[in-house]
Amino acid sequence: MRIPDEQLDLFAKRLEAIGVGRRDFLKVVGAMAAFGGLGFATTAQAAKPTKPGPNEKLAKDQTFRFGGGGWYQNDPASHDFNKDLYCAGVPALFAGLMVFNADFVSVPWMASKVEGNKDGSVWTFTIRKDTRWSDNSPVSARDFEWSWKRQLDPASAAPYAKFLYDIKNAEAYNKKQLPDATQVGVRAKDDWTLEVTLEGPRGYFPVLAAYLAALPAHRGAVEKFGDKWTEAGNIVCNGPFVLEAWEHNKQIVLKKNPHYFGAKDVHLSRVVIPIIPVASGALPYENNELDMTALQSGDLKRLQSDPRMSKDVFRYPFPGTWYLIPQVTKPPFDNLKVRKAVGHAIDRENVVKVSQGFAVPAWSMIPPGFPGAVDDAKIKAIQRYDKKAAMDALKGTPFEGGKNWPKITLSMRDEGLGSKPLAEAVQAVLLDSLNMKTELEVLEPRVFRDRLWKQDLQFVWIRWFMDYPDPHNEYFDTFYGKGTTGKRQAWVNDAFDKELEAGRDTRDPKQRLEHYKKAEELMQQDAGYVPVAWVLRYAAKKPWVGGLEKNKAGEFVVDGNIYVDMLQHIYITEKG
Amino acid sequence: MALSTPASDTSLPQPGAVVRPRTASRGSSLWRDARRRLLRNKLAVTGGVVIVLLCLIAIFADFLAPQSYTKANFGRLYESPSRDFPLGTDQLGRDVLSRLIYGARVSMLVGLGAQVIVVLIGVPIGALSGFVGGRTDLFLTRLVDVMYAFPRLLFVILVMSMLGAGLVNIFIALGLTGWVGIARQTRAQVLSIKEKEFVEGARAMGAGFWRVMSRHVLPSALTPIVVSITFGIPEAIFTEAALSFIGVGINPPTPSWGQMVGENQQFLRSYWHLCVFPSIAIAVTMLSFTFFGDGVRDALDPRLK
Repeated sequence: MRIPDEQLDLFAKRLEAIGVGRRDFLKVVGAMAAFGGLGFATTAQAAKPTKPGPNEKLAKDQTFRFGGGGWYQNDPASHDFNKDLYCAGVPALFAGLMVFNADFVSVPWMASKVEGNKDGSVWTFTIRKDTRWSDNSPVSARDFEWSWKRQLDPASAAPYAKFLYDIKNAEAYNKKQLPDATQVGVRAKDDWTLEVTLEGPRGYFPVLAAYLAALPAHRGAVEKFGDKWTEAGNIVCNGPFVLEAWEHNKQIVLKKNPHYFGAKDVHLSRVVIPIIPVASGALPYENNELDMTALQSGDLKRLQSDPRMSKDVFRYPFPGTWYLIPQVTKPPFDNLKVRKAVGHAIDRENVVKVSQGFAVPAWSMIPPGFPGAVDDAKIKAIQRYDKKAAMDALKGTPFEGGKNWPKITLSMRDEGLGSKPLAEAVQAVLLDSLNMKTELEVLEPRVFRDRLWKQDLQFVWIRWFMDYPDPHNEYFDTFYGKGTTGKRQAWVNDAFDKELEAGRDTRDPKQRLEHYKKAEELMQQDAGYVPVAWVLRYAAKKPWVGGLEKNKAGEFVVDGNIYVDMLQHIYITEKG
Repeated sequence: MALSTPASDTSLPQPGAVVRPRTASRGSSLWRDARRRLLRNKLAVTGGVVIVLLCLIAIFADFLAPQSYTKANFGRLYESPSRDFPLGTDQLGRDVLSRLIYGARVSMLVGLGAQVIVVLIGVPIGALSGFVGGRTDLFLTRLVDVMYAFPRLLFVILVMSMLGAGLVNIFIALGLTGWVGIARQTRAQVLSIKEKEFVEGARAMGAGFWRVMSRHVLPSALTPIVVSITFGIPEAIFTEAALSFIGVGINPPTPSWGQMVGENQQFLRSYWHLCVFPSIAIAVTMLSFTFFGDGVRDALDPRLK
């Protein structure tokens, strides 16, 4: 089944409703596309268990400790994803009907089978009979019916209830226009069959069912303990793990759930997640208090240069591009020669050095390895670093020889570690190449966005994190001249827009990429933007941590917003 | 220390001209006393010397700094102190020593600049309030009370986020929020001084508002104002450091000590030199001003005579 575009729009809206942002959700669309337009597997493919390699000997103590560097930096509000998606709890406590695999494809989990009717307006999930809640009661279709209705119940006031508005009458019920919950289109036909009737054809519904927001809650626990039902003594789980202890603001301890159907393939017996502020950096990891941690720039280099720990560090997929917007409506950047000079003035090799490994030089929008990446000597040359070319470009302008610059303010959004040093390095190379003095202004995110979208900023240091792996996202969503919302730059170019439209409307993939390549070339010739650096991200794991899944590109994946299936694959080998 | 100065003795015999010479001579003796006492206070002198040194460093930063504070050396990032870079290099390979030296300029400018604004706002309001009295006093005092009710740092951050970062804006923000204390003290002084005989005498002799104010009242009220300024300067410097630490102070690439500490605290374990040296600079400056300020206060306190 190929999912039509209007359904995809709805899909994006559902994800927006839970504040996931198009980026992550469209990553899933990318996975759907990769899966031949189907987007999910309909029969049991659930999370393949991992097995230790022939040379690996499982350790006796299967305890895994992870966190730090930004992971679990705050105590979760609860673990009740069913009522509060933003609770920041531990997803591995629950199991939904479907789950995303390492390539973001939705595969059956608590369901053993998914069937749609012909037009995709009614979906039937067959629940597996071999799995139980941690109190040994069966996980049945009724649990999902009750949980989804709980989320839609206006009394729950779940902020992201919109996520389920595809279900028939869900919106009316949630908005109190329909008091009768039985008319909501989710129904357990029997204990093992969940029938979901939708407002219309929704070919993507099984993908929604894999999302965190579709996880179930345990009725008995909720009715007994109310808001306190996810506390350690009260919670009943159906995921691979149960909550053994939760010392608030200190640590969360998970224990393997023996009633989970795949329990025999879950290697870890305990998981310890300490709550650690990001400022602690990699210290807990280095002190051997953690087996895996996210890395911030303050620590990466040190760990990489440490002979013992350098092997622990790994990169995980994160497509992002840092670039400059010289605002064509504001002097001196209204002068094409100045913009070209800026393009040649950026010593990218040197600029990325300050990122300490979190960036590499960029010559176009799309990082290598992603669809639409340009590897063309001609395009690379357009804005290549060349001090002489930079100065030459200024000839005939009032700024010839790097003189007479007006006051130039480089603006950026106040955000995480690592972005400001890069901006400061850009300042330094501009000063060095063009004698262009700039002042760096760090703006509060909301102020930044408002002014950005009004194209009110003179010179912008900004990034684009890819939403979904298609050049349409990297060019159309960011630079399309006739775009009305979220436009970041005043620069417009008709020929460029035409290429984007052609890229959007062409079916042949090869031809499409040609259009985008042409667009990139046009934009660079006009210096509508100046690519500077591509982003990299890192984590570290001890040598004894095994089983981390890899995606098709061969990179390790870690728990994030979509993929949350990490823990049941991990095992600990003997610390030889 | 009861030194009755010869000047006041000699001026006594002429009853007609008693008022002005007496106060003038008493004042000058107070200042002379104060200076002597200040010079005897070793801590205060040390503080004063350091302050003078810092001012000189700030003024002659262009000659003293071994390198430009903007000069990046991408081949030598995060280097520890060495012969080439006595205090090491930062994330752009810039010389930390040079940035510290230029940072002194920002700190001194902020300290002094903000006090100028504080004095220009606070003293007139306080003097007017105390001298005129009545409804004016009521209104101005309430205004001061309202301003006083705001937490200072939060108010400064608010003003800064409205004005945007930058050196001049820091002056304005610190000036707008810092005048309250000095206004109160001035008012209190003026209230007590305006009842004094010499002020009444001056009035009786026909001196106008401005003359009484500028020749008699304000000079006599100077002591607490001076003390308030010596404590206000380090407070302003520290506030700037705090602002820059949280990123709403000085815009890069201009170096500020607070910013240097704030940006590099995450590297404390990897590159200790990046935030230790600017922290020391802030600490030494604060300490010097505090010692000096304490010394000035003690020296000017007539009860300690």
